[in-house]
Amino acid sequence: MAVGPVLSEPVIQVFQDLTIVVFAPGVSGAIAKIEARFQGRRGPRVAQPYYNLAKLFRKETLVPEDASWVFLAAPVAAFACYLTVPLLIPVLTNFGLPLGYMGDILGGGFILALAGFSIAIAAAETNAPYAQLGSSRAMTFSALIEPTILFVTFAVALITATDLPYAEAAANRTSLAAVLRPAHLLAAVAFFLVVLNDTGRIPVETHSGTLEFGMIDEARTLEHSGPALALLQWGSNMKQLILYVILINVFIAPWGLSGSRALGSVALAIVVFLAKALAVGFVFTLIDNSFSKLRLFKITEFMAGAFLLAVLAVLVLFVGG
Amino acid sequence: MGWALITLTAVGAVAAIVSWWAPPRLGHATTVAAGVASFAVSLPLVARTAPTSALGGWLRDDALSTVFLLAVSFLYALTSIFAVGYLHPGSDRVAAARYSRRLFAGLNLFCWSMVMAVIVNGLALLWVSIEVTTVVSALLVAIDDTEGATEAAWKYVLIASMGLGMALFATIVMYQAGTTVFGSGYELFYPKLLAGAPHFSASIVRLSFVLAVVGFGTKMGLVPVHTWLPDAHSEAPTPVSALLSGSLLAVAFYAILRYFQITVRAVGPEFPRHVLLGFGLASLALAALYLARQRDLKRLFAYSSVEHMGILAIGMSFAAPIAIVGVLLHVLAHAAAKGTAFFGAGSFLRKLGTKDITRIAGGVGALPLSGPLLVLAVLGLCAMPPGGMFRSEFLIVSGGLSDPSDAVVAVLVVLVTLASLGLVFYASSTMLGATPDNVVRGETSAAMVVAMVGGIAGLILLGVHPPGVLSHLIERAAAQLGAPT
Amino acid sequence: MNAVLVAATSTVAVPSTFDGVAESLTVVILLSEFAMLRAPLSRSQIRLYSFQSLVVSILAAYIAAAKGLPDLYAIAALSLSLKAVVVPVVVLRLLRDARVELVASNRASVTSMTLMAIALAVFAIFVIGGLPVHSSSLPTTAFGLSAAVVLVSFVLVALRSDVVSQAVGFFSLENGVSVASLVVASGLPLIVEVAFFFDLLVAVVVFGVLMRVHHNRTDTLSTEALDQLKG
Repeated sequence: MAVGPVLSEPVIQVFQDLTIVVFAPGVSGAIAKIEARFQGRRGPRVAQPYYNLAKLFRKETLVPEDASWVFLAAPVAAFACYLTVPLLIPVLTNFGLPLGYMGDILGGGFILALAGFSIAIAAAETNAPYAQLGSSRAMTFSALIEPTILFVTFAVALITATDLPYAEAAANRTSLAAVLRPAHLLAAVAFFLVVLNDTGRIPVETHSGTLEFGMIDEARTLEHSGPALALLQWGSNMKQLILYVILINVFIAPWGLSGSRALGSVALAIVVFLAKALAVGFVFTLIDNSFSKLRLFKITEFMAGAFLLAVLAVLVLFVGG
Repeated sequence: MGWALITLTAVGAVAAIVSWWAPPRLGHATTVAAGVASFAVSLPLVARTAPTSALGGWLRDDALSTVFLLAVSFLYALTSIFAVGYLHPGSDRVAAARYSRRLFAGLNLFCWSMVMAVIVNGLALLWVSIEVTTVVSALLVAIDDTEGATEAAWKYVLIASMGLGMALFATIVMYQAGTTVFGSGYELFYPKLLAGAPHFSASIVRLSFVLAVVGFGTKMGLVPVHTWLPDAHSEAPTPVSALLSGSLLAVAFYAILRYFQITVRAVGPEFPRHVLLGFGLASLALAALYLARQRDLKRLFAYSSVEHMGILAIGMSFAAPIAIVGVLLHVLAHAAAKGTAFFGAGSFLRKLGTKDITRIAGGVGALPLSGPLLVLAVLGLCAMPPGGMFRSEFLIVSGGLSDPSDAVVAVLVVLVTLASLGLVFYASSTMLGATPDNVVRGETSAAMVVAMVGGIAGLILLGVHPPGVLSHLIERAAAQLGAPT
Repeated sequence: MNAVLVAATSTVAVPSTFDGVAESLTVVILLSEFAMLRAPLSRSQIRLYSFQSLVVSILAAYIAAAKGLPDLYAIAALSLSLKAVVVPVVVLRLLRDARVELVASNRASVTSMTLMAIALAVFAIFVIGGLPVHSSSLPTTAFGLSAAVVLVSFVLVALRSDVVSQAVGFFSLENGVSVASLVVASGLPLIVEVAFFFDLLVAVVVFGVLMRVHHNRTDTLSTEALDQLKG
């Protein structure tokens, strides 16, 4: 529907990025509020993350003695990666945008991994025990979840003969049967578990609270402060929203994306996307409140389970599912 | 002759019910009567040249079935006589009565299900009856309620049931193969399957055959799924062991042969022969090696059963028809010889209270009748003339020699010799020599001796001069199994 | 890029809705088999088995409804009542009497068992799923998946050392064979299926009896002690 002025494609691409950048802290805040309500508390303001970021930008930056320029460059590098990935994935539209073919799912995965890597390096060189612990754990676990991500990518590739996220979303929109086929369901659940792992939620990690013995991702940012910490927190919120985008707009519910370039439909797409993201966040909250965190060495069982689902997704495709 | 089949169906079931509810003496008598009657009723079937049907085609007896029916009913008769003598009153009359009821009802039910397995028509009912044999025999193995019996029964029921699950899968796959010819909703009768087999899809039939060999092979005792066998056969009460070794393994082999028949018609004889050869060689080799290190008399005989099942499988892998004749004769001779061997082991157990080979000596002196009979049975198992197994193994080996490569026959002969060495060594160490002084000479029970005499008589008859009708029956059965010309 | 998109949507070979749902149900059955590998409590294993039988009944009823095969409703009802209700209740009662909670320790870690089971499932799906089995009631994938269930149950029996796990492994093997029989369902005569069922029930009874005997004898449900007979 052509409501309002028609935007040019580069502008829509910028809107994609802006959506993620602007709304990421808000989505995190809303999820925290939902979780608090679930637990019977009143909870923080929905806009609390924004206030946190503003406060951090005003504070000074302290750098550990043994750190080098990497320590200060890493948050910026990570933020830059998180700004790049939304260009590649279907955030708002179901048609391809000019820079959208710059990278496929694998490319997006690499860039996200680069962000994680730079943060981990920065943490590793601080010479602080918990930061280094978190850094090594994060690298180990992200290596262990790699096969699952690869097999999910293979499943996507086998279904659509490309591995563009746009193409997978389009394939899933073709019919109900495409959604109900076991390969798609298995790949979707496997990717759901990957998102669980990468956003650091139960049963892998408790994202609230600071239990150092159990922290994986959270521990890496312990030594940063000031604007660097603000960029890191913002970046992690953006990463969460990016993963939600892939999960929702490619696998679970690829409907509601804008079909035209009109301003009105793009705006509607933003609203619909945020609603879907909140729904997914609600599901994660349910999981948070229903299960307990796994002991560290049992997380491999969890990953074996995710790997199983991803392998089955590919296998079933080979025999006609 | 349909009445014969119906009698066979009824006799075992009735005897089981009577044994459970009636006083022990009546139960014993009924069981012996049922065993002898079953054997008597199967004799006229030997002479029939055409298949017998009953109950609208649900029961069917052709030459192949009759051979195995003879093996089962012969041991049914002998074991029922033996079991009467095997029970010893003990001090607690009530417990002994309960034990007797359970044992005899179980024996009857067990033999009934084995008889049914060979006379039913169709792969589906075959599977059902073999499953019934498994559950009944598992309960019988556990009846003695010792630690060893519990362990053996659990292993047995677990491995055999998993194997039968695979066999059920095989039945379903074979059914699927048939749907291309018969559409859906047909009965798995043998004549129908054999007629349609040439049109079945080859790969599906191959899968079904392999699954059937592995599945029914667990019940037959083929390596590597034989692990339950030595335990179950040695821990069960002796009459049950005799039936397990002599008859049940044969019935499992019968099931494999039915699948063999269909597979040969569907994909040709090469594939099934190779499969059976592989399993047979493994069984023979492992049994021959393990026979050398046994301490328990019944376990020794159990491994001997594994060896003979291996010989049967290898015999089926030879192309010459004479080898198949040998295989079928071997089934009968093995039933007679193995049954007698277990009866002897049971007599010694009753007499001396132990199965441990290292502690038994001078057996011939202790049991003046059973001892020599046991020696004869062991010699029969080693394929010495005039036993029936000499004749059957001779036929198998000559069948194998006409194969293009005689490497298999050479291996067969070497391994059989090795196994015989083990058997003869232990038999001589237990039987010969001076009897220990604390043992009272004399037989424990006449019934046990009678059973052994019957077994040896059957074995020698098969070896010296098998009756003409029997030879013709075996030849007809072998023709059924051969590749169609 | 839009050309790529168009090409992608037009080359997608999607199974029909019926096929997709049926296969998904079969996949759920396979996944519950894997979950049994992980379950730490004997109770959970039985409940997983009950759930698996429930899904098998639902699958049978779904095929009956979609393909118009009224016989299958009877199978579904039998399967539900026997396998999803009676057997779990019996075994749970035995567990309560035995007062045993935890499954005995595995012979290999859960992750190793899962990987081994994945390898076997891959083997089954490729070898058996690749056979030319054409059925009007279920897609071919289901046949390979049921073979995978059978093979994974072997892992469960072989690598667990307590009586309940081994029994549940056997029962789930029967579930796998049931799914395979559903593939050829549009024909196995009803009486034969009923005979299979009652045979299965008898086997279950025997398992129960032996479990009780074992427990009375050794006062534990572990098979660690069952290693006297060797050689």
